[in-house]
Amino acid sequence: MMNGKALSRILGAALALLFLPAVLQAAGIISDNSFGDDNEIMVEFSTPVDGEAVQNTDNYTVFEENDPDIRLKLEEVVLAPDNMSASLRFAAPLNTTQTHVVKIEGISGKAEEIFRVSKSYLGYLFSVLIGSLLIKNFVFTKYLGLCVFFGTSKKKTTAKGMGVVFTLVMVATGIMSWFFYQYVLKPYNLTFLQIVVFIGLTSLTVQAIDTILRKVNPVLFNSFGVFLVLVIANCVVIAVPLIMASNEYNFFETFMLSLGAGGGFLLALYLMSSVSERMRLAKIPPTFQGLPIAFIVAGQFAMAFLGFSGLKLF
Amino acid sequence: MANDKTNFQLVANGILAENPIFKLALSMCPAVGISTTVMNGVMLGIAVLFVQVFSSVTISLFKNVIHPRIRIPTYTLTIATWVTVIDLTLAAALPEAYAKMGIFVKIIVAFAIITMRLEMFACKEPVQASFWDGLGMGLGFLVGMVVIGFVRELLGSGAILGYDVLGFKPLLFFILPSAGFFVVGLMMAFFNYIEIAYKRSKGQK
Amino acid sequence: MKDIFTIIFRLTLSCVLAGTVMGTTFVLTNKAKKHNEHVKEERVAFSLLGFKGEVPESVTMETAYRYVLSRGGDQFIGYLMPRQESKEGGYRFLQLDLDGNLAEKYRVDITAEQAAGAKERDQSISAVLPQGVEMRFAEQFKIVFRDGVRSAYLISGKFPGFKTHIAVMMALDSDFSIIGFEVLEHEEDPGLGGEIEKPYFKNQFKGKSFEVVQDLEVVKSPIPEDYLKALEVDIPPEAVKKVMQQHRGDDIYALTGATISTVAVTEGLKGMIKKFAYRVNVLDSVIDNQQIAVSF
Repeated sequence: MMNGKALSRILGAALALLFLPAVLQAAGIISDNSFGDDNEIMVEFSTPVDGEAVQNTDNYTVFEENDPDIRLKLEEVVLAPDNMSASLRFAAPLNTTQTHVVKIEGISGKAEEIFRVSKSYLGYLFSVLIGSLLIKNFVFTKYLGLCVFFGTSKKKTTAKGMGVVFTLVMVATGIMSWFFYQYVLKPYNLTFLQIVVFIGLTSLTVQAIDTILRKVNPVLFNSFGVFLVLVIANCVVIAVPLIMASNEYNFFETFMLSLGAGGGFLLALYLMSSVSERMRLAKIPPTFQGLPIAFIVAGQFAMAFLGFSGLKLF
Repeated sequence: MANDKTNFQLVANGILAENPIFKLALSMCPAVGISTTVMNGVMLGIAVLFVQVFSSVTISLFKNVIHPRIRIPTYTLTIATWVTVIDLTLAAALPEAYAKMGIFVKIIVAFAIITMRLEMFACKEPVQASFWDGLGMGLGFLVGMVVIGFVRELLGSGAILGYDVLGFKPLLFFILPSAGFFVVGLMMAFFNYIEIAYKRSKGQK
Repeated sequence: MKDIFTIIFRLTLSCVLAGTVMGTTFVLTNKAKKHNEHVKEERVAFSLLGFKGEVPESVTMETAYRYVLSRGGDQFIGYLMPRQESKEGGYRFLQLDLDGNLAEKYRVDITAEQAAGAKERDQSISAVLPQGVEMRFAEQFKIVFRDGVRSAYLISGKFPGFKTHIAVMMALDSDFSIIGFEVLEHEEDPGLGGEIEKPYFKNQFKGKSFEVVQDLEVVKSPIPEDYLKALEVDIPPEAVKKVMQQHRGDDIYALTGATISTVAVTEGLKGMIKKFAYRVNVLDSVIDNQQIAVSF
């Protein structure tokens, strides 16, 4: 499909841009660096280095980027046998959420080699995605979108359709809201209008997708289009831009957030519908039929998802 | 469609017969999400009451001026305006309680119940009737939230409105958000039970 | 045709009306919000220092601000300190290099009120700095004076917790022992990590000296009965004092089911105190050596 190819090309270019800094850095003597254990920084060199100079802790100055006046105490530097990599061991555990700056004197022609160590940004983006997908699942952990959720989780096919449509709307709305928020609301001090603006954008997106889908792919429209109407008055879709605004996410983070939110919704719907289909064969007492039992099942899912709390991937 | 119900009947309707949370099963997100204490329930209930009443009255006032083709956007705009007003007011007046509610106050704008009520009632009925209907619906929501909050706070932290009543914590589980699902589900079953029993007794007569 | 015009006209009119309503509310509530925030901060600060209710006349509080400056490839730390002749107000901006030596000092004539506003403060400092110097606000801290003598500090910090982050405000004695701390923000689980807000956890840190905090660890064992009673202030004040004295050198007892949160808070507070103590000592020696007239 045309849109799919263009989309993947854009995504590829974006990813390449993210990797660019790493590529550029490889030009110097430091080819790679990362956090190792609690109190360790690993460095890799592009050429074998002078063992003595590298192992002399006096040649090092290390500090957190935001606290340049607080020098961290380096205990020892362990050099690998091939002189191509080293491990910097510190007296106290490092705060890996901060970018660290490391300066080494006298290991190359230049007076000083400086490099920055921080957790991978791509990893962070990925953790935002997993966060909104599992750890902070919009249905089971944040309790949003319940009305639509209970209405469309009876069959697997409706669940899938609903989930996909939601993800699409959320990503589109998320991105548009980000542009609006950064370039219109913030500069003019109009952040209090965010509620109106976001809900307006949501309705617009739904209308736009409706029209586009009708013209471009009528078959798809016939299977999914009917769900679009339900999307407008829904907590989940408006929650994405609201979270983006309160956390001040940048573009990529917003994209990951909306993707994860939509994916999480799809996952929740799918799980719920699978159970729903089986429940139809079970004997449920009349007082519990319909919504009450659905709520109780959802509660059990919510308990299960509690297990993801505190998951740290990067 | 002229409404013959008295004002009191309108309000009672909102609280009992067409209770938004338990009967109409709309706007359940906050009922599950933040009903961990009675205070939260009261605050959000008041916010919803405010938005519902003001939106109903506004739409009813302007019902002859609103062009039918743009009525949904108009409803949305009205609701969004009043939500913004109550959001800003709460943030300024009660910052600590507001912080506990997170984004749920802002999400009121997406509540189906309010839009539906405007569509079904306020755009056709006179201002006074709309006011009472809005009040009823808002109160129904408030009552629902308070009841759920009461159960969860009492069983979860042994307190009500922050005052230690039981002196111990029965089941931490109830404050955890997933309990919201259970409590609401059980209460819905309870409401169903009452309704079925009522119908059965009437049928037998 | 006419239909569309009426629609557009009425829609625009309603948007304008809505906008006015929201705008007015915003203007009215914004002031109240800022005032409430300020009052809350003051209340938290004074209760941390141990003043319940009225604050005695002899106690005054000044706010100092720290910046990170860069010029070319060099970096400096800048401190905006209140001038000693504090009746007229006015501040001195001290620019220190990374080894703790004074590089420059400037006069910044603004009042405490003006300094409280981030934009105004930044602008006034930029005005006195030479061209080509970039500045970035780092943090602010409060100095508490009793009869004109430095008696306590109030610092705030944010560090990663089990879930996202934990923001705290801590009161330190003049010798950097902990007077107490308050958790301002956190997203920990209620009943588990959320217990860091409870007195029986926070009070464990009370009174611990700077030396004890340097090597403070977390132990996974239950709090001894007598210590628990003292922490929850369940026994008369003299008994509390005695018990707290006994356990002053103890490590922090982990919260049940929330070891990671406990460790996060302990490490976070440790880091805050170490950095602050280092910086205050640097500032002290600079002010002493250079005989700078600031309230410090």
